[in-house]
Amino acid sequence: MNLEDYAQVSLEITGSILAGLLVAAIILIATGYNPWKGLYIMLTGGLGDLDYLLSRASFVLLTGLAFALPMLASAFNIGGEGQMYVGGIVALIASLITKNPWIAITAGAIAGAALGFITGALRAYREVNEVITAIMLNWIFYYISIFFITSYLYNPQAPYRSVSVPKGAQLGFIEIAGIKMHLIFPLALLTSFITYFLIFHTRIGYRIRVAGLSPDSARYSGINAKMTFTNSMTLGGLFGGLSGALNVIAFTYYMDQLLTSMVGMGFDGIGVALMGRDHPIGIIFSAIFFSMLLLGGQKMQIAMNVPKELTDALSGVIIISLAMPYAYKMLMSYLKIRRMMKVAGRSS
Amino acid sequence: MVISMPPMAVEFEGIHKIYPDGNIALRGASFSIEVGEIYGILGENGAGKTTLMRILYGEIKPTSGTIKIFDHVAKFSGPWDAIKTGIGMVYQHFSLIGGFTVAENLILSALPLGISAQNVLERAKESMEETGLKVPLEERINSLPVGVRQRVEIVKALVRNAKILILDEPTSVLTPIEVEDLFEVLKKLRESGLTILFITHKLKEVKAITDKVTVLRKGQVMGTRRTKEVSELELARMMVEREVLFSLERSPTRPGNPLLEVKDLWVRSDSGLPAVKGVNLSIRAGEILGIAGVQGNGQKEFVEAISGIRKPEKGTIKLKGEDITDLDNSKVYRRGLAYIPDMRSMGLVMDIDLVSNLLLTRLEEFSPDGVIRWRKAVEETKSVMKLFNVVAESVRTQVRRLSGGNQQKFMLGREIARKPDVIIASEPTHGLDVGATEYVRNKLVELRDSGKAVLLISTDLDEIMQLSDRIAVMYEGELIAQGPTREFNLEKIGLLMGGVKVEP
Repeated sequence: MNLEDYAQVSLEITGSILAGLLVAAIILIATGYNPWKGLYIMLTGGLGDLDYLLSRASFVLLTGLAFALPMLASAFNIGGEGQMYVGGIVALIASLITKNPWIAITAGAIAGAALGFITGALRAYREVNEVITAIMLNWIFYYISIFFITSYLYNPQAPYRSVSVPKGAQLGFIEIAGIKMHLIFPLALLTSFITYFLIFHTRIGYRIRVAGLSPDSARYSGINAKMTFTNSMTLGGLFGGLSGALNVIAFTYYMDQLLTSMVGMGFDGIGVALMGRDHPIGIIFSAIFFSMLLLGGQKMQIAMNVPKELTDALSGVIIISLAMPYAYKMLMSYLKIRRMMKVAGRSS
Repeated sequence: MVISMPPMAVEFEGIHKIYPDGNIALRGASFSIEVGEIYGILGENGAGKTTLMRILYGEIKPTSGTIKIFDHVAKFSGPWDAIKTGIGMVYQHFSLIGGFTVAENLILSALPLGISAQNVLERAKESMEETGLKVPLEERINSLPVGVRQRVEIVKALVRNAKILILDEPTSVLTPIEVEDLFEVLKKLRESGLTILFITHKLKEVKAITDKVTVLRKGQVMGTRRTKEVSELELARMMVEREVLFSLERSPTRPGNPLLEVKDLWVRSDSGLPAVKGVNLSIRAGEILGIAGVQGNGQKEFVEAISGIRKPEKGTIKLKGEDITDLDNSKVYRRGLAYIPDMRSMGLVMDIDLVSNLLLTRLEEFSPDGVIRWRKAVEETKSVMKLFNVVAESVRTQVRRLSGGNQQKFMLGREIARKPDVIIASEPTHGLDVGATEYVRNKLVELRDSGKAVLLISTDLDEIMQLSDRIAVMYEGELIAQGPTREFNLEKIGLLMGGVKVEP
């Protein structure tokens, strides 16, 4: 990207935020609330507890990466949800066995990667649409996780939830400038930087980008399109699994019967990825902004007695207006590439 | 006094077409087609055949000029108007829905004309009986061979009451037996009073099926002849003759050892048909071999097989004596072969910068352990840009923002800088201005003089004649002639490109 591109992106973002806020204000006026107060609380309400905000943001940051990286190869990873559940449950089981947080987290991430691999390989080698596979796997692993929690891992004292992660396997805190902080955000941040490096400075990332941008050029340069597609989905799954594992090992320390602490975060990652323009560094900011709106919305519900549906609608409006310009571009090029792949696919 | 004039089906009067990008496709084409004729329209790539037909079919509008259909001036705002006037079009690539049955496709195509489903099927059966054109109505399109699909397209036009049928290169997708069947069908259709426009570049077919033929070259009508009264040689001459724009300095060739040897190569096309049929070829160091031919005669499949992008069905390819038939292209490249494809959007990724594009065929070289050495790549990019006069703001400029000539020079430079021994250049000057064209051609000659083997694929006969030490002509997947350049002239190549074998 050069200066012109940056200027255009900043203009796009500023315009989108203003448009989103304007629509949100109109909704507030129409429903009889004070728009200034409402939007002020919405935008600042989440800043009270920085640690909580950043930890919450980390999970969608990771599911955002889980969507963004495959997207670069024109692969749609809708499976962030299922990858999170699997990451969580495998990490929980691994923590009970090994009593080591790092092993547990690694195990969870690998489980997510395995799920991504299955989804990607089915698409690449058997032409099963990855969106359909992912949606089915999301539900399958939702119920499998619940089955494990209620049948084998339930807590006798509190049957609605699983046993806790053993003390020694819980990932602790660090202190930065006197503030006690979960380790989650630093780890998510590190993952973002590693992903950035992977995408822009390694062979595998280069191949993923070329395969996504131009299937013809990929064929010309000898890139194995099927393998690259599968690789990108596997890496996406890895991030989804990592998100779930961190959720259990470093945040809640248990899983509840309905997976309340995870449900929806996989899908939220899609919005975060699009808002972050499919870029690992952009996603850091969009994840924080996204969580800010979410927590601010909760504050607003309490402070102004606004129904949850309305605050959800408001943050939805702002997020959509931010994601829209990029989502539109992505969709167009995605459709174009799918058509090209179909034409190319006839040869094999 | 009444002079009985045969009724005219189509009259073109001074048709010009200038595309928005300034490309002139037609320069005042005028000719007329009588009712009940099979009328051939002959020309090379870019002669304007397809543009003219798309204008007749209402798909695009002429810049100036008028068309009369059955003595009425036609003003079409889209293909639907043309269809209502009785024009049917059968494209090279069919417009049928694969998962639907033949009947469903026919019903669908007649829907906008307001013909009921029952009526469509009756009409289809009627016209099939009249013309002997048999198609299985209940079969799905996917399960039908290409030849039958084409018949479905023809029936589709008949159901829509077509009086004029346009066939755009109808034989290019067919097997020889299917071609014979098609010709039988066309003769029956002519008996039933249909007017047929037959677009082709194949001289033999013109002779075999048409009553009259008009030859187009560079958007102009070169002449119209009764097929019976014209020789293939004359047609070929009309098709290709031209003035040579500029000439190149070339020293006499001193060929060395063979660097690329191809034996009995067979390759299939995307649609699974044999595209290359038993090609034998050998290129020596310090030699340019030019392959002439009309696009779509297997050239693409041939070079893709040599460079390892496409797997051949059988045969062997040897590079510097080593068998590379089964190697993937990245391995073939590393063994000293470079391929410059005819599509710049294939040889370059338009949406990333020049440095990233340098890596396209040289990734391993700049990422020995998997991590890309950008600094080294930037230096190499700069040196390629300097050596090959690529004008761009910086190495970080998106390739899309470069002119076609600069894109081509960069692509060529990237490949030559790898120091390959064999260079395959496919349409290397297509769409370039005169300056860039001359530059690229000179580079290819330089490569030859420095002892490389160059395989040049081009539909541009000037280019072939100017650059090649030896010439081969590809027609329907075969090299139907091969020899030193002095044995060829434009006329002869024209005949060969049209499928007429001539003895040297």
